[in-house]
Amino acid sequence: MTALGSGSGGGQGMKPVAVVVGLVILVVALAAVYFLAPGMAFMALIGVIIGGVLIGFGVHFVPVGGAPAAMGQSPGIATGVTMLAAGAGLAGLFGGAWAAELGFGVALAGGAIGGALMMAITCLMVNVVYVYAMGIPAASGKVAKDPITGDTFEAYKSQGTEGHGLPFVSYVGGVIGGLLGGLGGTLIYLELLGVYEASLPQLMGGSIDQIVPLAVGLAGIFAVGLFLVNAVIAAYNITGTIEGPHDPKFKRFPRAVIGCAIASAVCGLLAVMLVV
Amino acid sequence: MTVQITASEGGMSHNKVLAIGLVGAVVCMYLTYLNALTGTEVFSFFGGLAAVFALWWGTDTIKHLCSYGLGTGVPSAGMIALGSGLVAMIFATKLSSMGIISSALVIPIGCVVIAGILGAILGYIANNIVNMSIPVMVSSIAELCIVGAVTILGLSAMATGSFVFADLASGQVAFFGITVANYQASLLGGGVIAAIFMLGAIGVQHAFNACLGPNESQDRTLMLAAECGFLSMITVSIISFAFIGMGSAIVSFAVSVIGWVYTYYKYLEMSKRDAYMWLDAKPILEKEEA
Repeated sequence: MTALGSGSGGGQGMKPVAVVVGLVILVVALAAVYFLAPGMAFMALIGVIIGGVLIGFGVHFVPVGGAPAAMGQSPGIATGVTMLAAGAGLAGLFGGAWAAELGFGVALAGGAIGGALMMAITCLMVNVVYVYAMGIPAASGKVAKDPITGDTFEAYKSQGTEGHGLPFVSYVGGVIGGLLGGLGGTLIYLELLGVYEASLPQLMGGSIDQIVPLAVGLAGIFAVGLFLVNAVIAAYNITGTIEGPHDPKFKRFPRAVIGCAIASAVCGLLAVMLVV
Repeated sequence: MTVQITASEGGMSHNKVLAIGLVGAVVCMYLTYLNALTGTEVFSFFGGLAAVFALWWGTDTIKHLCSYGLGTGVPSAGMIALGSGLVAMIFATKLSSMGIISSALVIPIGCVVIAGILGAILGYIANNIVNMSIPVMVSSIAELCIVGAVTILGLSAMATGSFVFADLASGQVAFFGITVANYQASLLGGGVIAAIFMLGAIGVQHAFNACLGPNESQDRTLMLAAECGFLSMITVSIISFAFIGMGSAIVSFAVSVIGWVYTYYKYLEMSKRDAYMWLDAKPILEKEEA
């Protein structure tokens, strides 16, 4: 299992030159929007960047086990990072989009809770399958003791595995990840929806009521696209499996956060410039 | 991570696949513009063929990229391709109304250029900031972004007969015999683009994900990619009944089905060729006469 452990994952740390180049791209994108469309569009781009960062950070909390988890050889949910993040985030995004009429705060809360709920149900069902169908106890391979409950894992961990099941700390991590992913996705959606609702009626020559379906469609599909871009960049940072916030790989999150901020800025620039 | 594991030897070089795919897709995109020139909608199916070329090329790109071992599985590459491609594609459809070049002919080539730039930036982020250190990362993500953008542009053009933003954003609804513009009855406002997005995302990553393994062979994988493309085309041709004329939609449907049947049989043949042996087992055994 060493190929799936912490051994893989490219180089460690960050390249300072690359980060500077990335931050220059970020500033150029912000400056372009600031000069072409100051005010609402600029604030929306900042919202999109924050949303992207939340998604990238949130993905690191989600316990992912991949194929080894399906065989009970590593803890986590038995699927890839992108699929899980997309599931949690999009569930939240739909929840938030439904609540968009009820105000900014309610919509954000709806998105966050939708994502968290989706992850909570997924984690619960995963544990049901692990314990009652596969007959394995939850045991982490990365830490000796659960950081939250203080339970020890050593006696339960099967030989030759990296642990199995979904320990309590991973469950909590999954819920936090869903919360942040849903929050980020909904924030991107709401910011873009605001910009489109403000500028599309004049641009397309229709009334606000006529234009709402178009604004919703555009903001929704852009939010999905941006969500997947950020989730995949975070997945590339994790490279395979992660148990949750106690996993050593979790410490890598700064580079994904920087990467997601830049990616969101560039994609957000195109999304905002569509109506400018 | 930087050790390349070659999935299969021989076959076409990746650059050749890239050239055929890119040129084929762009040419087919321009052929859909015959719709606007001739005033019909019969040529919509060329958009689907552009998507097939793009998916065919994108499958080889994913194979090229994933031979380095991403650690995240093949589908993530398809997801970032379509996610970023979508952003570039919707922006590109707006190019003709931005006041620089007013002809719609700028859209397909502009789509390729914008997607290439966006993909290169994302590839740079993945390779240098996230520090994947994969030699082909930047070029592959750029290629994948173009593949995603051209796939969605092609399938959208197939569904609506046009690749201009104004046509994708507004549809027409007959109301007591009078046709009125309705934004809800459009590709973007009606959310049809989400279906096209998923068709493309599954189409681009499925072929390599399904065929990878010790005896993966390039022609079989690429044939499966073309088959996925035609299968997506069938779905889009059914969607297109809502947007374009009955006759044109039937032409699209016929082209998709013919393409799908041909590629499916070709793929089956190649699977039999590559298999160690195969048995034409019947689901229910016939009773032999004594």
